[in-house]
Amino acid sequence: MSRDAGQDLLRGFLRDLRAAGLPAPVTRQRDFLHALTEVPPRDVRHLYWLASATLTASVVDREVLDPVFAHWFAGGALSVLPETDTPGEEDRGGDGAEAAPPDQLAREGAGREASWSAVDREATFALTSTAEHQVLARLRRDLPGAVPTIRSRRRTPARRGDRIDVRRVHRDAWRTGGEVLRPRWRARPQRQRPVLVLIDVSGSMKQHSRDHLRFAHTVVAACDRAEVFTFGTRLTHVTPELRRRDIDGALSALADVVRDADGGTRIGPSLRDFLGNARHLRMARGALVLVLSDGLERGDCVPLTKAVRRLSLLAHRLLWWSPLACDPGYRPVTRGMAAIVGHVDDLAGVRDLHTAWQQVKKEAL
Amino acid sequence: MNEEELAAGMRAQRYFADEGLLTAVYLALTLGRPLLLEGEPGVGKTELAAVLARVLDRELLRLQCYEGLDAGQALYEWDYPKQLLHLRATEAGVGDVYREEFLLERPLLLSLRRPAVLLVDEVDRADSEFEAFLLEFLGDFQITIPELGTIRATEAPVVVLTSNRTRELHDALKRRCLYHWIPFPGAERERAIVRAHVPSIEADAADSLVRAVSGARRLDLLKRPGIAESVEWARGAAALAANGDPWPVALRRALGLLIKDEEDMALVNAHLDELIAP
Repeated sequence: MSRDAGQDLLRGFLRDLRAAGLPAPVTRQRDFLHALTEVPPRDVRHLYWLASATLTASVVDREVLDPVFAHWFAGGALSVLPETDTPGEEDRGGDGAEAAPPDQLAREGAGREASWSAVDREATFALTSTAEHQVLARLRRDLPGAVPTIRSRRRTPARRGDRIDVRRVHRDAWRTGGEVLRPRWRARPQRQRPVLVLIDVSGSMKQHSRDHLRFAHTVVAACDRAEVFTFGTRLTHVTPELRRRDIDGALSALADVVRDADGGTRIGPSLRDFLGNARHLRMARGALVLVLSDGLERGDCVPLTKAVRRLSLLAHRLLWWSPLACDPGYRPVTRGMAAIVGHVDDLAGVRDLHTAWQQVKKEAL
Repeated sequence: MNEEELAAGMRAQRYFADEGLLTAVYLALTLGRPLLLEGEPGVGKTELAAVLARVLDRELLRLQCYEGLDAGQALYEWDYPKQLLHLRATEAGVGDVYREEFLLERPLLLSLRRPAVLLVDEVDRADSEFEAFLLEFLGDFQITIPELGTIRATEAPVVVLTSNRTRELHDALKRRCLYHWIPFPGAERERAIVRAHVPSIEADAADSLVRAVSGARRLDLLKRPGIAESVEWARGAAALAANGDPWPVALRRALGLLIKDEEDMALVNAHLDELIAP
């Protein structure tokens, strides 16, 4: 191959990579070209690993790199390349799905297809009224006090503390010519625990999900560290949409993301998807976990029970808010709820913003 | 050192890297760039840095990340008590105490001063503010100390960062690094690893162990066993086998070294006959 042809090939490869959605910054492209001159590739496989090390920044990027690379350098036949070693062997360590990282298997908004009554439509929500805005304002005021706290790992200057703040003592001593007059302290301040809200948006919760999402929007606004997921037939991470300040704007943005609203219920499998992902687990660890659901599970209840048990072990406090529990005569006797109730810290009745606010006030005491 | 020598050196240290990892490591050494490694727990991310230090005959400096880690523990800190004493003893001016002798060197600064392999372990555990401290260091291998000026590396350190992907790292950090995802090893390589670390184990015993491990990884476990676990399992089973247990029995009895969760244990027990042929 002539020199010019080689350059054209590389230029085309990088251009296609950009077009395919992997915008490698100039520094990375420079690294790639630099690597090619420093370490001349032995074969196509070696070239692939050179490209992978320099041009990708995450294992997810390989999904883009692989087809483009195959197109330019391997005549389309590259499916065996990103394998560990000894491809074709019977029981190699990665059988496709295993080779992928866990969070690629269950990514945000990529839950499994539902087996029945899965829907794919946009939810629409009515605008928030003035009265509702007032309740939301009260929620915003009371929520920070209701979230349990934990000691921060990072010490800050404090009046009384457990460590001497040598830095401040030193600074003070400058004024007095190196004489230390009084000690200064650092302490570990209290900070809010993370909050995780899991909202059931299935058909049986239809009349409540609007208020629940509004509540979640307030949680995201009022708490330091909050994450929100919705689930019906699949799990969706909705925190980024809820970060918008304007509540009605945030809810209409949600309508574009939550595709399973008002459909069937698969609480157990959705929670299992959540727990199967290391990145999501981290949000539940030591957190205040709020599940807004009626606990009416279709089909097998075993995954639900297992998932709730695991969630309660991970969480600092696991609260289950169900609209059914608003009825004073309610007893958790459905198969799903009966199994869950032993694992949750509190089961309370919440059907709208007002009852949610009352629960928050109760928690704050 | 060329690529074959690097591979041979790592093999001699009982580390069996596949072609992708080897290429990434070699590139990191040749281009002088930091290497960001991701992968499931227990696939040998941390071990790689230790092995690299031995192969290159450099000191290993390790910075374990955790939430709340700050610049004072990662980069440098002034030795305030010593400065105070100096001020009182000599009645010197304030500028006089900001000198090298009052500087406490933490791992990042230390790695600029002497030939080292720097391991920044589990970056994802530190909060995202901490990544900002790393940027100047990773980009140019230099640290700016306002009172002293900029300290540059005499010899570029070899830097390995590891992450378990519990959160997404900043683009600015990733842009400065080469990247490699370490998958679970293939059966062939895992056999080699187990036999290298547990020399007393027979070839077909290692074979059945590796088959059982890859079978267990295919189950729907909460925590899939890594290489570290299979080596531990092999060690435990070998100890029991030396005591007179037949190999499959020894494997079953040592199962607690491979599976470390009650629910997972129940699941594995249910499939035990498929995993470990009696």
